[in-house]
Amino acid sequence: MKKIDFEYLKKIVGPENITNNPVDLYAYSSDASVHQAMPQVVIRPKTIEEVQKIIKYANKNKVPVVPRGAGSGTSGHSVPIDGGIVLDMKHMNRILEIVPEDMLVRVEPGVVDDDLNRALKPYGLFYPPAPASSRIATIGGEIGANASGVRSVKYGATRDYVMGMKVVLADGSLVNLGSNTRVHSSGYQLERLIVGAEGTLGIVVEATMRIYPLPKYRCLGVADFDKLEDAGNAISEIIASGAQPSLLELMDGIGIVAVNKALNLGLPEVGAIILFEADGNVKSAIDYEIKKMKEICEKHKGYGIEVSYDAKERQRLFGGRKKLFASLSKYKEGIVCTDLADDMGVPNSKVAECAKKIHEIAKRNNVIMAVYGHCGSGVIHTKIMLDPKKASQWKDAEKVVEELYDYVHSIGGVTSAEHGIGLSKAPAWKKARKDILPMMWAIKKALDPNNILNPHKLMDAPNDWVKATGLRYKVGK
Amino acid sequence: MAKNIEFERTKKWENELDKCIRCGYCYELCPLFKSYGWESDTPRGKLLMVYGMITEKIKPTQEIVDKIFQCFYCKNCSDNCSAGVPVTDILTDARADLINAGFEVEGTIAHIDEELCSVCGICMSLCKYDALKIVDTGKGKLKVKVDKIECRGCGLCLAACPSGAITQKEGCNVTLPELHESVKEVLKDEDKKLLVFACNWSVFPGMQLSETETLIKTPHGIIVTMCSGRVAPELVLDAFEEGAWGVMVAGCPPEECDHNGNYKARRRLILLKNVLKDLNIEPERVKLEWVSTGESAKLEGMIKDFAKKLEKLGPIKIEV
Repeated sequence: MKKIDFEYLKKIVGPENITNNPVDLYAYSSDASVHQAMPQVVIRPKTIEEVQKIIKYANKNKVPVVPRGAGSGTSGHSVPIDGGIVLDMKHMNRILEIVPEDMLVRVEPGVVDDDLNRALKPYGLFYPPAPASSRIATIGGEIGANASGVRSVKYGATRDYVMGMKVVLADGSLVNLGSNTRVHSSGYQLERLIVGAEGTLGIVVEATMRIYPLPKYRCLGVADFDKLEDAGNAISEIIASGAQPSLLELMDGIGIVAVNKALNLGLPEVGAIILFEADGNVKSAIDYEIKKMKEICEKHKGYGIEVSYDAKERQRLFGGRKKLFASLSKYKEGIVCTDLADDMGVPNSKVAECAKKIHEIAKRNNVIMAVYGHCGSGVIHTKIMLDPKKASQWKDAEKVVEELYDYVHSIGGVTSAEHGIGLSKAPAWKKARKDILPMMWAIKKALDPNNILNPHKLMDAPNDWVKATGLRYKVGK
Repeated sequence: MAKNIEFERTKKWENELDKCIRCGYCYELCPLFKSYGWESDTPRGKLLMVYGMITEKIKPTQEIVDKIFQCFYCKNCSDNCSAGVPVTDILTDARADLINAGFEVEGTIAHIDEELCSVCGICMSLCKYDALKIVDTGKGKLKVKVDKIECRGCGLCLAACPSGAITQKEGCNVTLPELHESVKEVLKDEDKKLLVFACNWSVFPGMQLSETETLIKTPHGIIVTMCSGRVAPELVLDAFEEGAWGVMVAGCPPEECDHNGNYKARRRLILLKNVLKDLNIEPERVKLEWVSTGESAKLEGMIKDFAKKLEKLGPIKIEV
């Protein structure tokens, strides 16, 4: 590992914003993925100038720099595989400007998604991407992963909201990308290049994001299904019918049992449930959409359908989904939820088939997998539930990851729909997208010739994700 | 110095620690994270350290101990953990093992200055956790001893100690000197005629992670306290001295305070009102309100109503 001049960096940010205390380094060794690797230094910059000085130093001395938001990444994006500096961006957390007349907001990267929405609410506005982790996820992290969430079926992903951004490049220079206008046709859309780059091309230090008026009404419905395939088919048909859901979620029986155990929700333990929502300013239009989706659910043997406009009731119906990821660890004693093969995207017509295939692959390889997700956008979330203490279970997980991604890619799906590639998904993604890797490398080399920005992630990640870093679990023999 | 120790009490939690998926929901409302802002101050960061120690990935050091002993036991972490990891129970057992291994601890635990302590025992009657005991020093003297494992750092004893003998580590804006400073700072602004001490656990007005306006929209001053039971009478008098026309204490409704601090606040404010009468200050300038989690709109309304009443009363007419 490269030697780092701690005293020099301390002068840039002050002693209170830098640490090489082993306690802190250990705490920053993990995110929400299975990976673990220690940085050498953690720095909390407060200004753009500080970020520039740190990056200039790192570039000159070829020290890796890993930007980190909430540390809620699921694939190891912010795990410092080569040591170096972790830049904790949470302290650049000011909402700089809310401009309702231009429908935009200017924020620092550490602003938390929910906090932004709280600040926008009095203006009757909102920032729609809303990943499930919105209570802690930062805008910078969401840009890095091109995050999206439950409403992506109507409102899209982070990339659809980025108007402009300030980025510190690998040589420490500052660039202003994009514009303050809703469209621009003025050269490469470089602001979009940074979205989903996982911190490998530059450090986002400010972002100008599009915002929307809050809809006057929201109506949420829930339908039960005995068979997961029926629920999957209902989803495909809802999308193909031209209905306009603002949310279309699936949760399978494993997920239902887990949230019932964790949150005591008393949901009926059926094969699957679908949550569907419509929003807007005209109630009759929402009624129309809800009726249409309800009928399609019934056509596919959906029953026990409840719908509600009431905010509290909607929260009750949706509460379990929001906490599903963590609840999965409660499914069965002795097994835990690991964040692997967690967010593939598939064409809508393949949702039912894919859901069935996931359970098949899991069973064959001695693990349990829940199927849920924003299936209206083709996003299927799974988690591999296993006994982390057994080395054999990690071999099982390896096989599941490989088989599952081979299948997903074979039906025209993508490795990651909204969490990013990082470390754990990189081998499967590289295998599937060989054609684009040289282009990505060319961009990376042009912008970061010394490979200091989040090195060994994406196309640069090791081919064996289990051994890429240490695992944060204690694995026996 | 790193030590090799047995984690007799903590080892049983290994399976529970495996369940932590590190989603981070535990730190959203963590006052320690809010105060210091490092990952090592988050509940999930501390759990990672505990896991590291019991699985022998890392060795316990004084730095780790210092972090583990910083916790106010508000349990926002455990309550928000959908994986059901009993965060504070695990930390308590880790504390016990680390103390048994001979580590020096300070953290957020109450500290008693024996020179100032008169061993009156008031603090003991307030402590819900039986963490304070009078013991014989063996030299014919008695002293109050803090059980460092059981002390939850709630701070009720600090606010009640007549000798000012009990302190806590500064840095989280919970000690009396820090709160005195906050009162001065907020009331520097002459337009702020009303000061609200708002309980952190009831309405979380200061608990957002980003630097935005507080959730409570009011032109008046708000100081977030870790519990209404921490609002010592002298803080209210301080506010009057600094020019406040009135002081509101917003605490958890009955039965909702983990530490019973709300009852302590109520009793204290009744006594204070009697003192105010003797000083010719209208007792209605002090108001206690119960506000539950998420009732920020209700608190906003209460502040508005109270401000209207204060407008009628005008400024305090005597020197405090």
